[in-house]
Amino acid sequence: MSNIGRRDALPIPPTNAEVKNTVCQYCTVGCGYKVYTWPVGSQGGLAANQNAFGVDLRNPQNPLGGLVYTETMHSIVTRRDGRQYHVVIVPANDSPINYKRDHSSRGATNAIATWSDARATKERLKYPLLRLGDQFQVITWDEALTILAGVAKGIRDKDGNDDNIAVKAFDHGGSGAGFENNWGVGSLFFKGFSVKHIAIHNRPAYNSEVWGSRERGVHELNYDAIDARVADTIVLWGANPYETASVFYTEHMQPNIQGATLEEKQKNFSKGEPAEAGYLIVIDPRRISSLTIAETIAKERTLHLRPNLGTDYILANAIARVMWERKYYDQKFLQTRTDMAKFEEYKEKSLKAATPYAQFMADVERITGVKRADIEKAADWIAKPKAGGFARRTLTIYEKGIIWNMKNYDQVAAIVQMAVLGNNVGRAGTGCGRLGGHQEGYVRPSSPTPGSIYNGGPPVNVDKYLTDGKGKLYWVIGTNPYLSTPNSQYFRKRIRERTKALSDFLGQAGEPGPTQELVAKILEGLDATGGLFMVVQDLYLTHTAQDAHLVLPASAWGEANQTSVNCNSRLLRLYEKFMDPPGEAKQDWEICKLMGLKMAELYRAEGKEKEAARFEFGKNWRTDEDVFLDGGNSYPNNAIPASEEATLPAECYKGVTYAFLRQVGQQGIRTPVRIENGKPVGTLRRYSVKFGTKDGKFSWYATDDWEGYPAEVAKYLEGDMAQKYPFWMTTGRAQAVWQTMYNDRFLPEKTSLLPMPYVEISPQDAQRLGLKNGDLAQVWNEEGNATFVVMVTDSVSPGLIFTMMFHHLGSANNLTPGYTDPKTTIPWYKGTRVAIRKIRGSLPDLQDTTSFLQQNKFD
Amino acid sequence: MVLSRRRIVQVLGGVTMASLTGAGKAQFWFAPSLTYPAIKVGNVNSLKNNDPVYFNYPDARSQGILVKLGRPAIGGVGRDRDIVAFSAACTHMGCGVQYKGGRFLCPCHYTMFDPAKAAAVYQGLASTGLPQIQLGVAQNGDIFARAVNGLIWGRVKNI
Repeated sequence: MSNIGRRDALPIPPTNAEVKNTVCQYCTVGCGYKVYTWPVGSQGGLAANQNAFGVDLRNPQNPLGGLVYTETMHSIVTRRDGRQYHVVIVPANDSPINYKRDHSSRGATNAIATWSDARATKERLKYPLLRLGDQFQVITWDEALTILAGVAKGIRDKDGNDDNIAVKAFDHGGSGAGFENNWGVGSLFFKGFSVKHIAIHNRPAYNSEVWGSRERGVHELNYDAIDARVADTIVLWGANPYETASVFYTEHMQPNIQGATLEEKQKNFSKGEPAEAGYLIVIDPRRISSLTIAETIAKERTLHLRPNLGTDYILANAIARVMWERKYYDQKFLQTRTDMAKFEEYKEKSLKAATPYAQFMADVERITGVKRADIEKAADWIAKPKAGGFARRTLTIYEKGIIWNMKNYDQVAAIVQMAVLGNNVGRAGTGCGRLGGHQEGYVRPSSPTPGSIYNGGPPVNVDKYLTDGKGKLYWVIGTNPYLSTPNSQYFRKRIRERTKALSDFLGQAGEPGPTQELVAKILEGLDATGGLFMVVQDLYLTHTAQDAHLVLPASAWGEANQTSVNCNSRLLRLYEKFMDPPGEAKQDWEICKLMGLKMAELYRAEGKEKEAARFEFGKNWRTDEDVFLDGGNSYPNNAIPASEEATLPAECYKGVTYAFLRQVGQQGIRTPVRIENGKPVGTLRRYSVKFGTKDGKFSWYATDDWEGYPAEVAKYLEGDMAQKYPFWMTTGRAQAVWQTMYNDRFLPEKTSLLPMPYVEISPQDAQRLGLKNGDLAQVWNEEGNATFVVMVTDSVSPGLIFTMMFHHLGSANNLTPGYTDPKTTIPWYKGTRVAIRKIRGSLPDLQDTTSFLQQNKFD
Repeated sequence: MVLSRRRIVQVLGGVTMASLTGAGKAQFWFAPSLTYPAIKVGNVNSLKNNDPVYFNYPDARSQGILVKLGRPAIGGVGRDRDIVAFSAACTHMGCGVQYKGGRFLCPCHYTMFDPAKAAAVYQGLASTGLPQIQLGVAQNGDIFARAVNGLIWGRVKNI
């Protein structure tokens, strides 16, 4: 009846099942989960004392709080002892994040995403693979690392530096990464090698996505989940938490909008301060589900602003200008907590205080397309003092709609400045930061680029470096740039051309059999062809890996002990190992350690002791915790008073051990961690006393004027091009597969829901172009092409379409421009111009099996 | 009205029995793996488009919704293959879903299910579609619930 096998009974964990604490591997929210494992062949009973849940299963569970155990929360895995084990992964009942065992459709599939040769995840990589005779052939780790170290050493011996060694690697938590693997990767490339051509998983450079905030003294993770429950107003700017941080929305924002958190508000507010149900402002070109749900609850307390693409920073400055005009600020706060010399510049250039208000607002209306009355209403909801003169409490949350916008630096800076002008950072119910995508777990030696163009940057665009024909070794770790990088169609073609050039060279007269001869021929071929030796280290044979020369199998979440923090509370917890990795797959830190030791071996053989020692960074790492502690020691002294927390890196966990984390379990500890009386103490909310600058004062910045669109997009706005490419396109992801598609592309439970990437188009445009739900459409521009299935929806307004990124059958990034913000090298993934046409004919099977009901309609 | 297995054979004819008895060991992991009762839940002639009928199945503590969609559906019965039934407990956290505007909507966390597509989750937090209740139609138009394809929320076993 349905497309996937369903179940009507699940195994019950017996009382002697192993129980582990973990956190969902996927999104920023980091919901707590419990894992139960036991050998196949036994089961527990229904009575509470007969099962490991300790729950009476004889009667149905109570909705909203009872045990949650759904069909996707069970699977069977094989361990290295050769035996089969049941694995049950259910939402924890003691998490401060996912109250009442709430969970998303993604976290609920952690169990079926585990590796098994008997299920869809049999696609996991087990052994190292070497391209030989234009086919992947299995080799050992020793052989793989001998080849890789030989090539890397050959390149640096010749060059005398690491300029031709290019890397693209994850820098996040969760997803099988975490502090341990970040420290491993960072140690290899920054302690062993001195790599400067390195890029982060989702962008072409090694940079922060929010230098516009950090360089003001505000790290992007500064609020706690509780702030969403007690805020007077929540601003969602280019962020759609219902789909990308679902439980943060349903357990922390939705109850606020429903007025269900008044008691908590009163507890956190000053005496006599008014508390009422929360207001929500959504600033987004689309009518996103986070907005339309709130409209269903309380239309009169929601406001939607739809700025023209790229104009958000002008809008943020305009809201701030209204706040300035209406005196929605605390002069004393500005004077004591912020840099007033820089404030004058901000007032002059960002707020344009010298331009008459009416003229200023008319200019803003013209640029942004947002009505003055709505801008003023937003300012009132954000910062107008409450009855009794109490400062309003507004939590401003932004994400990729701002980060992956045009002019990344100015967009982020404008929003955080708007928040600080209203004294909306560092108090209960306030904060200004990222929603987050994945979890975090960054701990690394110093990286090559200290900051934006104002602080030693901008960083190198490694995509451009490679597509320009530079670099010899390209090592990709835990990311799939063939789908994810901007202008990916061009990137893919160029990397394929360069890797194939080397493969063809190696194939002439046959690839040499002996290892050293193969290494020598690779080095010779790199010089002779301008080719690229590509190494991919990942869970699966990704699109990128299919063009690699060497593939290294990495282990995943649950296959080792790992640690990460979530984004909405900086909550550090231990994610306990509950199964073995497939075959000989290894943790990234271990691969990096072994690569380092192999490099050291090669240098030592030549008597180069000093070089050898550089690469022995991991010689004492035996366990996951060894790496965690080694990384933790790299943080500065944290035995400091609470008032100095702003001086610490946001993820500082120095002094925390696995034993401590086991003890605190799901309660975790909030980073940055300080040491008080020898014990680790967390930080609930940041910047209550000082900001993260040298003098502790918020550092204002004068944003640029509106200068129109960058050349890569502006070319589509003139003359014939404007006719040929008549639509604006914005991009994003979807609820069912948010942050999960590395596994979900293999799971029928998910591929059956989103068999293809989709395009959203307005009813008016759809009618004009003869498009209806379930049709196929091609979308194209000069950068590239992609095929999407059509969804007609009022989410987008006429003239704008939305397309899905990162789907394994095609990604919107084929069409995105190569533009990056000159201040930060962050791309604009979410805006360009395109043409769209119906592909003739149809796919009845797709139409019969896929839902095309409108995803943002809840009334 | 609960029918005995003997009676349901008389009502529906032998052709429908395969799914009723599909509880063999080989199918242990896939629904229907249990022996379900057959219960009359309506009659094709009395159903109106988009006017849901509520009933209990497979026991008194589990509500089901029977609805004639007016468009063909996966697993639909009746002349137009548009009559379907599902467990009404949201597969996210167990709240009762509503049939509204041609789809099922959970009022707790807003998961939405497409009744024509085996109640697949097309938006929201639930991890599986609503369990679909397999239906059979007798010659006189009586509709019988025969089995549940999917785990009813809050249970480790449907019956």
